[in-house]
Amino acid sequence: MVSMNVVLFISFLLFSVGVAGVLIRRNALVILMCVELMLNAANLNLVAFARHSGTVGGQAFALLVMGLAAAEVAIGLALVVALYRKKDTIQVDQIDLLKG
Amino acid sequence: MSMSAGELSAILPLLIPALGACLLPLAALDKDQETVKWVRGAMFFMALFCLAGGFFYVTRLWATGAQPSYGALHMDRIGQYAGIFVMVAAALAVLQLWDHLHQEGWVKGETLSLLLFSVVGMILFASAGNLILLFLGLELLSVPLYALTATVRLRARAFEGGMKYFLTGAVAASCFLMGSVLLYGVTSSLDLAVIGRALGAPRPDPLALAGAALVLMGFLFKISAVPFHQWTPDVYEAAPHPISGFMSVATKGVAVLAFMRVLGAGVPAPGSLRIQSALAVVAMATLILGNLAALAQTNIKRMLAYSSISHAGYILLGLVAGTPAAYSGVLFYLLAYLAMNMGAFGILTALGLVGDRTTFDQVKGLGWKRPDLAIAVTLCMLSLAGIPPLAGFYGKYMIFKELILQGHVSMAVVGVLASLVSVYYYLRLPVALFLEKPSEKAEREAAERPAIKAPLAGAALLVCGVLVVAMGLFPGTVYKVFALRVVENAFHFVR
Repeated sequence: MVSMNVVLFISFLLFSVGVAGVLIRRNALVILMCVELMLNAANLNLVAFARHSGTVGGQAFALLVMGLAAAEVAIGLALVVALYRKKDTIQVDQIDLLKG
Repeated sequence: MSMSAGELSAILPLLIPALGACLLPLAALDKDQETVKWVRGAMFFMALFCLAGGFFYVTRLWATGAQPSYGALHMDRIGQYAGIFVMVAAALAVLQLWDHLHQEGWVKGETLSLLLFSVVGMILFASAGNLILLFLGLELLSVPLYALTATVRLRARAFEGGMKYFLTGAVAASCFLMGSVLLYGVTSSLDLAVIGRALGAPRPDPLALAGAALVLMGFLFKISAVPFHQWTPDVYEAAPHPISGFMSVATKGVAVLAFMRVLGAGVPAPGSLRIQSALAVVAMATLILGNLAALAQTNIKRMLAYSSISHAGYILLGLVAGTPAAYSGVLFYLLAYLAMNMGAFGILTALGLVGDRTTFDQVKGLGWKRPDLAIAVTLCMLSLAGIPPLAGFYGKYMIFKELILQGHVSMAVVGVLASLVSVYYYLRLPVALFLEKPSEKAEREAAERPAIKAPLAGAALLVCGVLVVAMGLFPGTVYKVFALRVVENAFHFVR
């Protein structure tokens, strides 16, 4: 039985890696992956909390989040691919038509 | 599994637009839809039909005073208000989309389908009674909007806007999720009412406060309040005009409603004080930055985007005041904002300004060609600026009055000063339309282009103009019938 604090710590670490990646990396795909890390950190927490409190709501929520994350990635990847076709780059600092 | 009539009536407002959204892509199966006018017409008719059906169903619920719920989905006054609000905004957007997409030469069934899905998500977001439905609503409203921003796939700008919206929105959604998870962890419950009570306890758990802060961030992102506003101008500029209008009105509106539900779920003094002071800081920053940045814009859409940021500030001021009267003031303000902002974005479609031709220079002197549209949009602009006999004035008046009664005089003063500044940039559009002369080059180009016909967008704009005046003439009636009833029936203030 892994203690609650260990799970919380790992989840916090995952979330921090995700946030740091979003802030530092400039590749749209990598940013997308970092967002997934953040979502999965939340999922890990959800399952741990559900087990800890003995309620099933959290586990249902975790399943739903997986589905939603997939839907989000589908839209995100479509946008990345389409943008790459137009601009030949997915570096977000080179995509700067809109300004002001 | 059977379902009682009450339960069915709680989810019908969601089912009707969802049904339309599921059927509309069938029209997109036709490969030659570009050439078949009746398919296009049928798609738009169907979208409008679903929205009208949902609208009439919700207004009937509203009139009978029934507040059904289905599990954690509460179609109470807040949910019904959201239904009416979103469906009117979406219907105005559909009317404008017909003309805008034809001007762009990019008429697709998916656009309408995505719009309807977003409508479903918005109503769900505002009527969710637990964290799961709240997050589901948030995603269902945002994901179609990412795609809608990039819907006119002819330009790289559209993709850039969609991409920026997607990346920032996904990060905000993950933070919102993490916040909800922490709240769940502390309270072991997904129910918003239980969580509200836990946050309102004299010494809330620090983990719960961290969770509340992350959830607050998600809401502020959707309301586009400073410092989570950077996406707004880029996304509004890139999206099709009617979609920008719809996003600015409906997303902000339902985010405020859902936020009110979370706040109004019984948060007494200590917890809410902390949230209140955070909200006060955000509201001040939003008002000042939104209004000052709007002054410097040369593009009408970017100006409107910063204006919508500043309006988020006024709405947040109402939440800071936090009394029942202030809440109903905010609800009135949202209705006024719906009419005036859909009108403001509507002029771009009605005048046929596609692509990047949305600068103030491009509309010079156009007011004399279409005086009816120009007068309607002038009314919307004056109302946005808060000039007295119009709808926007009464909304601001109600909020500022409550703010002063609660002792936040300095904030009210900043609010009034901000709306004085806003008069300058709102009047630039009427001035360009009526008083400035187009350059000779622009006139020559305009003569070469075919005449613009946008009957539906024009009609939508006129409706907005009439609504702005009507709400200004009869603010008391609108206030009593809509705003006050929500606050009386749906919130249980613990003070």
